[in-house]
Amino acid sequence: MAQNISPEQSGGAGGSSKHNDDLLPVKDNHAVSKRLHKELMNLMMANEKGISAFPDGENIFKWVGTIAGPINTVYASQTYRLSLDFPNSYPYAAPVVKFLTPCFHPNVDLQGAICLDILKDKWSALYDVRTILLSIQSLLGEPNNESPLNAQAAMMWNDQKEYKKYLDAFYEKHKDT
Amino acid sequence: MASLEPTQNKTWDLSLYELQRKPQEIITDSTEIAVSPRSLHSELMCPICLDMLKKTMTTKECLHRFCSDCIVTALRSGNKECPTCRKKLVSKRSLRADPNFDLLISKIYPSREEYEAIQEKVMAKFNQTQSQQALVNSINEGIKLQSQNRPQRFRTNKGGGGGGGGGSGGGGGGSSTRSNVQAHDTASNDSNSNTNGTDRESRDGTSTGSAAGAPNVPSCNAPAQPPASAGTSGASTSSSRMQVDDASNPPSIRSTPSPVPSNSSSTKPKRAMSVMTSERSEESESDSQMDCRTEGDSNIDTEGEGNGELGINDEIELVFKPHPTEMSADNQLIRALKDNCVRYIKTTANATVDHLSKYLAMRLTLDLGADLPEACRLLNFCIYVAPQPQQLVILNGNQTLHQVNDKFWKVNKPMEMYYSWKKT
Repeated sequence: MAQNISPEQSGGAGGSSKHNDDLLPVKDNHAVSKRLHKELMNLMMANEKGISAFPDGENIFKWVGTIAGPINTVYASQTYRLSLDFPNSYPYAAPVVKFLTPCFHPNVDLQGAICLDILKDKWSALYDVRTILLSIQSLLGEPNNESPLNAQAAMMWNDQKEYKKYLDAFYEKHKDT
Repeated sequence: MASLEPTQNKTWDLSLYELQRKPQEIITDSTEIAVSPRSLHSELMCPICLDMLKKTMTTKECLHRFCSDCIVTALRSGNKECPTCRKKLVSKRSLRADPNFDLLISKIYPSREEYEAIQEKVMAKFNQTQSQQALVNSINEGIKLQSQNRPQRFRTNKGGGGGGGGGSGGGGGGSSTRSNVQAHDTASNDSNSNTNGTDRESRDGTSTGSAAGAPNVPSCNAPAQPPASAGTSGASTSSSRMQVDDASNPPSIRSTPSPVPSNSSSTKPKRAMSVMTSERSEESESDSQMDCRTEGDSNIDTEGEGNGELGINDEIELVFKPHPTEMSADNQLIRALKDNCVRYIKTTANATVDHLSKYLAMRLTLDLGADLPEACRLLNFCIYVAPQPQQLVILNGNQTLHQVNDKFWKVNKPMEMYYSWKKT
């Protein structure tokens, strides 16, 4: 099959997404903001339980979302705020999503950066704010301990009782932030 | 050929649904079947731009549909796989145009322009309801606050007709125009007096009405600043709509605005804040010099008699007008003030006439700024009250407003006072 591919295209296939991002024909911002408006409308209509998101101020390219910690996990009863920054190439490139609320989790670093494949190389133009937030919500309960950003959290994960205890102390410490 | 593997393990038992279902009757008569546009929409929509499909492209292998532009951009930018199901899409050649589907869409929506116009309208309406929601919320909040405070009112105000104070709308205005600055610093006085520890900003009926009815935001010509929280974004959008209302209200007439609803405090423009602070400090300065209390003096009010308790009900509303004969319209000052020469003030009843005169001078100086005519750099007023029309009584500076009210003004409406130059 591969013999039909032109050399430029096969070369592009291996390129990092960063590299591609610069080359993207930046569609007019109107199309991007239109899609974001539609997402907002769908989100408001759907009234999804456990997640919410709204543009942060007048700028439709910056949103703040909240997710509730999934029930039956150590994160239950917690609420997390996240920031979503949409690039001009959205939805062909993923938004930058970060935890605003401190989150102790194997795949979240202390600055709030999230290690999640669908926000990196597994991004698809079909993902939207709703699915991103739902994915992060499920990541909370099912961390990928193979490639941790927070090694301590990954080590502790196996002992859920101890983990929960540590988590409670962690929240107590970060209460004011 | 890897795709065929799973089918070998698949069992072919009928599901419960398949066992239960009955064959569907074929429609032979003229029965019509209605499909809601919404359910249809998900079929005709491109999952990338969320719009109706335009120049449909279908993936050859998995048969997912996208706009031509959307899928081409997606393939160029991301992974070489179907955005919907991640099936490998090697290149554009894994796609093919689907003109039949375009035809189908054009049968259902003959005019794409019309459809798009409707979509735009729906969007606009949605955005509006968003902001209206925010406005309604803030109004309700304001009304609630006001009704809580109502029992503490000193006197019912029927007459203060013009008092279209900032109300809830005041919060929405992310404006930095001059008049708004004024409105905000009036608010600062108001909130200042609240720091007494009592909740004494009793609202008159008028401002309740105005909050719900025609919010008089003192001008929103300047571009609204981005509000800090999501909830306020609506409020600021709506404030720009209020320009129309604003125009119909005389800008001169002001009452003390309601306490700005909680959600709006964050939208207060920076500049207004700084003006507020500077004015406040000036006021407290003068207060300390004159050693008498007014609305602005709670900061320095340290006489121990539970200062709040005393003031709770002792509020008085005043309308300040220029002296009808001595301050005629060709007067330099009145010309500079234009419509702003009438003032509404709410203050504590134990403030003295002297203090009022000083306050008024300072207020006018601040409001006019550079516009203040050179000849009247030092404003010095004397205050009159009119127990009857045409009859003006000059007031002694030591009298408190409470005394003046009892002596000259028995009706239940804001006391009307007049200002004129102090004769030397």
